[in-house]
Amino acid sequence: MTSIELDRRTLLTTGAAATGAVALGVALPDEAEAAANRYFKHGVASGDPHPTSVILWTRLTPTPKATPGSGRGPRATVRWQVAEDRRFRRVVAQGRFTTSAARDHTVKLEARGLRPRTTYFYRFLYEGVASRIGRTRTAPAAHATPANLRFGVVSCSNLPAGYFSAYRHLARCNDLDAVLHLGDYLYEYGAGSYGDVRQPVPAHEMVSLSDYRRRHAQYKQDQDLQLLHARNPFIVTWDDHEVTNDAWAEGAENHDPETEGDYLARRRRAHRAYDEWMPVRMGSEVALGDGTRLFRRLRFGRLAELSMLDLRTYRDQQASYPVADGTVSDPERTITGAAQMRWLKDSLRQERAQWKLVGNSVMIAPVVFPPLPNDLSRKVNDFTGLLPEDGAPYNVDQWDGYTADRHEVLGHLADHGVQNTVFLTGDIHSAWACDVPLDAGTYPLERGRSVATEFVCTSVTSDNLNDITGTAPARSSIPVEAAIQANNRHVKYLNFDDHGFSVLDVTAARTQMDYYVISERTDPNATVSWAASWATDADTQAVRPVDAPVRER
Amino acid sequence: MAPADRTGGDETGTVDAGALGRRSFLRLTGAAGASLLFSAAAGAPSTQALTGVAGQASVARKRRAYVLVVDGARPDELGTALTPHLRALRDAGRNFPAARSLPVMETIPNHVMMMTGVRPDRSGVPANAVYDRSEQTIRDLDRPSDLRFPTVIERLNRKGFTTGTVLSKEYLFGIFGTRATYRWEPAPIVPVSGHAPDAFTMDAALSMVEELDPNLVFVNLGDCDRMGHSDLTGTTLQAARTAALVDVDTQVGRFVDMLKTSGRWRDSVVIVLADHSMDWSDPHQIISLQPALDADPMLAGNVVVAQNGGADLLSWTGPADRRAPALRRMRDIALATDGVLSVHEPAQLRLGDNAGDLVVYCRSGWRFSDPAPYSNPIPGNHGHPATQPIPFFVSGGHRLVRQGTSSAAARTVDVAPTVGTLFGLGDPRGGYDGTSRL
Ligand SMILES: [Zn+2]
Repeated sequence: MTSIELDRRTLLTTGAAATGAVALGVALPDEAEAAANRYFKHGVASGDPHPTSVILWTRLTPTPKATPGSGRGPRATVRWQVAEDRRFRRVVAQGRFTTSAARDHTVKLEARGLRPRTTYFYRFLYEGVASRIGRTRTAPAAHATPANLRFGVVSCSNLPAGYFSAYRHLARCNDLDAVLHLGDYLYEYGAGSYGDVRQPVPAHEMVSLSDYRRRHAQYKQDQDLQLLHARNPFIVTWDDHEVTNDAWAEGAENHDPETEGDYLARRRRAHRAYDEWMPVRMGSEVALGDGTRLFRRLRFGRLAELSMLDLRTYRDQQASYPVADGTVSDPERTITGAAQMRWLKDSLRQERAQWKLVGNSVMIAPVVFPPLPNDLSRKVNDFTGLLPEDGAPYNVDQWDGYTADRHEVLGHLADHGVQNTVFLTGDIHSAWACDVPLDAGTYPLERGRSVATEFVCTSVTSDNLNDITGTAPARSSIPVEAAIQANNRHVKYLNFDDHGFSVLDVTAARTQMDYYVISERTDPNATVSWAASWATDADTQAVRPVDAPVRER
Repeated sequence: MAPADRTGGDETGTVDAGALGRRSFLRLTGAAGASLLFSAAAGAPSTQALTGVAGQASVARKRRAYVLVVDGARPDELGTALTPHLRALRDAGRNFPAARSLPVMETIPNHVMMMTGVRPDRSGVPANAVYDRSEQTIRDLDRPSDLRFPTVIERLNRKGFTTGTVLSKEYLFGIFGTRATYRWEPAPIVPVSGHAPDAFTMDAALSMVEELDPNLVFVNLGDCDRMGHSDLTGTTLQAARTAALVDVDTQVGRFVDMLKTSGRWRDSVVIVLADHSMDWSDPHQIISLQPALDADPMLAGNVVVAQNGGADLLSWTGPADRRAPALRRMRDIALATDGVLSVHEPAQLRLGDNAGDLVVYCRSGWRFSDPAPYSNPIPGNHGHPATQPIPFFVSGGHRLVRQGTSSAAARTVDVAPTVGTLFGLGDPRGGYDGTSRL
C-alpha cells in the first residue's frame, strides 16, 4: 500500500470530530453560518450536471411561519450566483428566481453557460443574507476523453434507522464528479415502524402532499446529507419508498385504497414533492411540473454515459407467492414499460460511449436464494425486502420477477456486441459484485456468458441481515453469503452486514467500485473503513477483486 | 461461407497467375529451414535478402509499421494470462477497448478498410461474398480489380517506401494481389479452410522483415478464425480456440523478439487488431432465407442470397418496376424469421452498390445458411453486430507510440490513416473515413 492510500484511509477512519477541519474542502465559517441561517435552513444542492449547465437547488424560508408543507408564506425572490472561486470574485452566471408557497418555497433552476468539467461555487442570496456555499462540477464535453470519472454511490437512507455518517464520510472525497443516489432517498413510514434511532417528521406515514413535503424537509435538515449535497452534484433516481413500499404502476404493497385513497393521486403528490425538493430534471426542462419522466441519460464525454432508470412507475404488479405459475416470465409483464425499454436499448449501444453505466434501482443479476441455515432462516424471513419472502427462490421485486424484460435487455447486449455495460444498483441493503450472465444455468459457458457486470452498493442506514439477526460481531452473515454464492456462481462478492457508501472510478482500462463501511449506524460519530474493491476490466464483462481502493486524484 | 474445395499443397496457391501480373519470385529459407516463396514487384530491391543480415543489431534506421491481424479474435481474448506476449505488447502501447469492426463484419471488407482507410461504399468491397450482377453469380471479392480505392500499400510504394503482405488466406492474397513490393505466396494451405497455419505465416513474416525489410508489412494470422470455422462438431471448439490463441501469442512473441533483437523495435509501430470477432451458433439456430423467399409467389426465383455467415445480402433480380414492393416483401419475410435481428439498406451501412438490395443480420447464437440449410455447417460465424467488438492496440518502440488506454472508438478503417501518419502520407482523394490512432 502506498503512503497516499494509507493517509487517505487513516483520514477516512479517524472520524469527523478529530480531523474535520483539515479534511473539509469548504471553510468552517461557512458551515457555521449555514447552520445559523434563518432563510436557508435546508441547505443547497446541485444536480444532473451537463457539460455547460447544472441544476441548482435550495429552499427559502422567507418568514418563520413559512414552514415546509404549511402552504404559508409570501412570494419571494432570491438571487443566485455561480462563481469560479469560493469568494465569488469571478461570478460567471447569476439570476433571480421567484418562489412561493405553491411550490413549498423551493428554488430550482438551471445555471447555464458554464464550461465543461469545471468546478464551480454557487450560493443564493435573500435580504442580503447568503446561503451556505455549494460546490458543483460540470460534466466533460460530449466528445472529450477524460482520464477518469469518479462517483460516490449510495442508496437506501432511512432516517429513523440511524445517522447518515456514510454521507458525511463520502462528503470528504474531494475528487468526485457526482454522487449517484440509486433510490430510497427517504422512507414513507411513520414513527416506530421501521427504525427508532431518530423520529420521523411527520410522525405518521407520509400520504398527503404536506406529509411528503415535511418528510423531504426533515431529510434536507440532516447535517450530513446537507454537507454531501453542498459538496457534490447529485444524480438521483427513485425506488419505491419515495412513494411507498413495493410500488408498481397502479398500486403498492404499502398502500391501502380504503384508508389512503387513490394510489395514483398519492403518487402524483409524492412525485410533485420530489420534483420540488430534489435537484433533478424530470422533464425536458427544470421547471416544476414539466413532467415526471425520471429516466434520462447523462453523458460524460466518450468515456461513459449514465442511464438512470425508473423501475417503479411503469412496472406491472409483482408476482405473488408462490411463484410457480410462470408469472415472473410472462412476456406481457414489464418492469421498464415499453417506452423506457426502447430508450434503454438505445442507451445500450456501443457508439454512444465506452462505458454504459446504468443507474438501476433493483438488482438485474439473477439470484437464486437457497434454503438458509436453520438458525438464520426464521430471523431472515421476518424481514421483507432484503431476502424474498418465506422460502421463495428469488426476489420478485427485482428483475428476477420480470425475466422477459431482463432477457430483452441482456439479449440486446449480446446481439449488438455491446461491451462494458455496468449496472449500478441499490435497494437490497447489501453490497454485491456480480457478472451478469446471459443464462445463469449455463454460465460461464458461451451460451450463458456474462454480458455485463453489476455493482450493488449497500444501504446508508436501512436494515440489513446483521441488523435483523442482531448478532455481533460483524460478519455473522457469512453462512448466508456462502450459501448464496454457492448457488449463484456469477455472484463474486457479497456483504450482508455493513452500511456505508461506495466510490466508483471509471477509466478507459477499467471500472472499479470501492466499498466503504461505517462502524455503527446508531453512532452519530461513526467511523469509516475500506471493506473491499472490485473492478471490471474493459471488454471482459467480468468482475475481479482489487487489493486497494483508488487514491484521491 | 461454405468450405471450398481446395487442392492445397501447391506453393503458388490457387490464385490465378494472370491476376498477379508480371512478377519475379524469391525463394528464401525460413527459420525452420523450410523454403518460402515470395513474389516481388519487377525491379524491387532484394539485395538485403542476398546479403543476409538477419539478426544483426546494425540494421538501418527507418520508419517501420507492422499491422498484425489476429483474424476473428475477441477483445477479451488477447489480454489474458493465456496470451502473455500479446498482453505485454498491448501494455507497451495504447489500447482501444471500445474498438469495433465495420459492416459487413467479414474478413475481406475489413482488411480492405484497414489498408484503404475508407468505407465499402468507396472501396467497392462490402462483404466476403456478393452477388455479382454482371456475372450473374455469387462470388468472393478476391480479385485485385474488386478493390477500387488506392491502398496505403500502393501510396507508400509511390513515395519510394517498400511494402509487404503476408496474408494467410487465399482470398486475401487474391484481392491484395501484386500491390505490395513483396508478397508471400501462402503455403502450405490447409485444404478445407483455405489458409496457411500461423506458424508458417509467421515464418514468412519473419523472413520478409529480416531479409527484405519493407517499411510496411501487413500480416493476417488466420488460425483463431479458422479454428472457429472448421470445427464442425463444436464439441472441442473451446479447446481448439484456446490452442489457437496460445499459438498466435507464441507467433506474435517471435515477431516482437525479432524486432527487439534486430534493433528494429525503436523504429517500429506495431498495430495489432482483429478484422471482426466471433460468435458461436447453436446447431438448431440456423436461418435459411432462400427457401422462405422462394416460397413467396411475388419473389420466387427473383431473389439471390449472398450468405456471409452472420449477414445475408439479398439481391432482387426481377423486373426493376417491381423492385420497391419486392423489397418490402423481402424485408417483411426476413423480419418474420426466427433469429433475424435486423434488416438494413446497404446505404445505411455505407456498403455501396454491390452489396445487393438488403442486408439482413442475425442475432447472437444464430447463423445464416443459404441457399440451403446444409450450406453452412460451421458453428463459428461473424458478419453480424454481435461480432463487432475487436481488439485494437497500437504498440512498438517508435517515439510516436503512446501508452495507456483510450476510450476513443477505434475502427478497422483507422489503420490506414495511422500508418499514413507515421510515414507522412497525405490524405487520399476525398479524405479518410478513419482517424489516425497515433
Ligand atoms: Zn476474418
